[in-house]
Amino acid sequence: MADTGVTRLPGAHGGPGGTLTGFMRTWEFGLLVFMAATYLAGVMINPKFFGDATALFSILRDAARFGVIAVGMTFVIVNKDLDLSVGSTMGLSAAMFALAFDRGFYDLQAWQAVLVAVAFGTGIGLVNGVLVTFLRVPAFIATLTMLFIGRGLILGLTSGRNVAFDADKVDGPLFFLIGQTNALGFNNQIIILALVATLGGIVLARTRWGYETYATGGNIQAAGYAGINTHWVRIRAFLFSSWAATLAGLMLASQDTGATSQAGVGAELIVIASVIVGGASILGGRGRVIGSVLGAILLVLIDRVLREGFPIARIVKIGDREIEILSMARLPPGAVPAFLGMILVAAVLIEPWILRRKLIQRFVARLRGRPMPMVEIESVAIESMQTTGTSLTATEFHARGMTKLFTYRESAAVVFVIVLWLIGFFLRPDFWGNLDNSFNLLLAFTEIGIMAVGMAYVLGNGDIDLSVGAVLALTGSTAAFLMKKADMAPMIAALLAFSVGTMAGVINGFLSTKAKLPAFVATLGMFYMARGFGAWLSGGRQLSQFPPQFNLIGRKFYQVLDYWGIPPAPDSAFYALSRAVSTQTLILAVLAVVAGVVLWRTTIGYMVKATGGNRRAAEYAGINTDRVRFLSLVFVAMCASLAGLINIAWFRSFGPQAGAFRELDVIASVIIGGGSIFGGFGSVFGALAGAAVITLLRALLSLQVITKTGSFVMPQTWVNVAIGLVLIFAVLADIWFRQEKIHRRLPFRRRAKHPTGGDT
Amino acid sequence: MTDMAGTTPAVDMREINKSFGAIQALHNVNFRLMPGEILGLVGDNSAGKSTLVKILSGAYQRDSGQIFVAGKEVHFKSPQESRDMGIEMIYQDFALCGNLDVAANMFLGRWPRKGIFIDRRRMEADAEAVLDRLKVKVNSVRQRVESLSGGRQQSVAIARAISFDPKVIILDEPTANLSVMATQQLLDTMLELKSQGVAQVIISHRLQDIFEVGDRVMVLKRGAAVGERLVKDSSQDEVLRIIVQGDGAEEALSA
Repeated sequence: MADTGVTRLPGAHGGPGGTLTGFMRTWEFGLLVFMAATYLAGVMINPKFFGDATALFSILRDAARFGVIAVGMTFVIVNKDLDLSVGSTMGLSAAMFALAFDRGFYDLQAWQAVLVAVAFGTGIGLVNGVLVTFLRVPAFIATLTMLFIGRGLILGLTSGRNVAFDADKVDGPLFFLIGQTNALGFNNQIIILALVATLGGIVLARTRWGYETYATGGNIQAAGYAGINTHWVRIRAFLFSSWAATLAGLMLASQDTGATSQAGVGAELIVIASVIVGGASILGGRGRVIGSVLGAILLVLIDRVLREGFPIARIVKIGDREIEILSMARLPPGAVPAFLGMILVAAVLIEPWILRRKLIQRFVARLRGRPMPMVEIESVAIESMQTTGTSLTATEFHARGMTKLFTYRESAAVVFVIVLWLIGFFLRPDFWGNLDNSFNLLLAFTEIGIMAVGMAYVLGNGDIDLSVGAVLALTGSTAAFLMKKADMAPMIAALLAFSVGTMAGVINGFLSTKAKLPAFVATLGMFYMARGFGAWLSGGRQLSQFPPQFNLIGRKFYQVLDYWGIPPAPDSAFYALSRAVSTQTLILAVLAVVAGVVLWRTTIGYMVKATGGNRRAAEYAGINTDRVRFLSLVFVAMCASLAGLINIAWFRSFGPQAGAFRELDVIASVIIGGGSIFGGFGSVFGALAGAAVITLLRALLSLQVITKTGSFVMPQTWVNVAIGLVLIFAVLADIWFRQEKIHRRLPFRRRAKHPTGGDT
Repeated sequence: MTDMAGTTPAVDMREINKSFGAIQALHNVNFRLMPGEILGLVGDNSAGKSTLVKILSGAYQRDSGQIFVAGKEVHFKSPQESRDMGIEMIYQDFALCGNLDVAANMFLGRWPRKGIFIDRRRMEADAEAVLDRLKVKVNSVRQRVESLSGGRQQSVAIARAISFDPKVIILDEPTANLSVMATQQLLDTMLELKSQGVAQVIISHRLQDIFEVGDRVMVLKRGAAVGERLVKDSSQDEVLRIIVQGDGAEEALSA
């Protein structure tokens, strides 16, 4: 934000005095100026599109949906929470309406269909709210899981098809009015945004509910002591954001007279960025509805300017004649989410680094030779918000003999592995236990396992990396791009791609340590950036036919030896082994043993756990916790890069969907295996056992079960819903059974209230 | 300033000033601690107690003034440097990693190694030795610190400080989170340390604790030292009066 008019912190209560000069000093005014500048840039780049009033209305129309969600999200973010599920809630709302309304499905009336969508939205909001309040799950992990579950539900319910319906049913036209252009020449959705923004703005700035929200976000403990029911305040905000997302989904269904399974993908990125750009603080307690709405319009404008492209003229020589060809230069697919991811990270950095430090005021003061304004007292390190709500103490078990085995945090995962394997064997004794299936399981296990090894370090530190799947895709597409498009030698391409993935980890580490962003925010930004750049490089397409030398990474070890001209003797035991074991399995084995021992019994491992257990104490003891966290984030990115190389070598091609949903699998693996979302625990052995649980679960969910009447296999679109549920239950079990054993004390909870929110 | 009875003070801070922006947190404060002495540092909130000990422990840097540790002038830039000079701080919340066991906490950040691996056996033996020296009993040094009571956790924190063989220990509100019994145990531990020649500074709001084990009380008020009494010649009421009203003469000096 280059605008020096931005000299005032957006606070809870309106601008100073309401005078014109007062208004010009607000954050919102800065946004308007920036918006005008962006629009002018759009006009210059593409006068045909932006030079017209309809363009403005079309931008406002599309911004309306994001603006509506941003109003709800403002409540959540002011509360110091985050709702990552709004994009999938929006899509689910459109899909539910479509399914309920369409003649081919349930053929309900429009108002009934709206009720169905609202019911689903309410359900999601309630579940989010209850998870983060009563059940103490960190907001980002609860709502991220809900994002994946919602996406899975949409795919499962629509089977991935688009639903388009007739608008001429009895009360249909009334509903479809929402998405239409009115007599005044603009879309009715803009009116809806105005209404929602006014209502939300008044509630947040002028009512008791709003004041309760600011109090809860500012200091949840103080608010609780003052008698505010903070649980209800936070649940309420999640309901608002869910309802807003539902409304946005309905607006979309009305406008498009249909729903696609891709509706709302990535909307959470635009909405969260909007609210933050609009002046809200990721630390909670600050933010205004009007700012969020302006932020949404600005982001949609930027998005549109990036997408519209600009006309260019190319001179093409045909024979000796030169022909001028007019065309549009467009940014490749993936570029837009990549830019939006960067905007999100940049926007989050503005508050702590520019506003709180009063950089602009200090600059102005220096120019005018006036005394420097005081820097606001550094708030509690902003990364501490990651552990909002909980730092529970783990309970010690006292046990001997056989029962002592069950006191290890890893034991649950091992038991699950055995049980799941036995279930598979019970269901399909003919197939489950045979070598083919076992080796396939092992291969599927490798990808999750390699990343889980790195994630064990990161979660051990009390951080999280939400970008592993995206980094996998980034490395895969880079390697594929370099080999296919740049004709590089496989070795060099693999090394370069590996470095690119590692760079992503370096950026994650830098943002989470030096820039002091919470790791989940930094890696969420990277999630979009890495996936975006990956799609950019591959042009959003499948790339295949790599040099055979490269594909060896994903082949049996025998083929590697054969390639190097040292095949083992055909009847030796080594021969049999090398034909059975894959290169990737070997890589995982070596990685796991080394990283496992380092985490278990070396200074590095102890430093990781000390950092995750109590960062301040670790620092007092002379541990450079920033370095430990930085290196762990780099290490997990290296693991993800390795997995990316293996992935494309194994499939012999790079697909844009590589690594999708993998962050879910990997985080779930580590937590099932004894890690804690709050840090300080976890082992590589546990992470691998957890990865085995996830692998077996995925295999079981796609197992064809033979019944007396035929066979049954679960639709694959539902698998991610199941994995999402598993992650949530793993986190809940960790918090409630391993750490707190609160289930034993439930009847006494009212009397002996446990202190919430350990201020670490 | 001359040495009392020919011994060098363990810590001698002279004319310490420290301000945060426009707020003068410390104003020409003189502070002296003799070997084996237990000094109580008292005063209202924002009197400057924490600032003073944080300067001593290297967490803050002074604006002006001199600090001598065992007669040698020092300029601490980090807590690590003050630790190297034998000054240990025990924080109010103990600064322990609850997820690690007792032994790992006592050697936090300097775990003994054998080759590249942590030498668990030596670490546990050393931890037990230090706990013995403190006459503190924990069931097992392999217990996770979280599972210990507040008093035991504090014992671990003190034991960790002791394991550095410090000359000076600073205790910040050590009894704030403790039960009556644990408080008594802590006071016994402090006397044990005193008999071993360790100088201790105790910041506390509970005067009765200071009067039970302390030798001397120093009162800070609005960033200035306003009074000093020997415990044996004074009473809690008198000290309380100084905390509230200041000590006439010195108040006039610092004003």
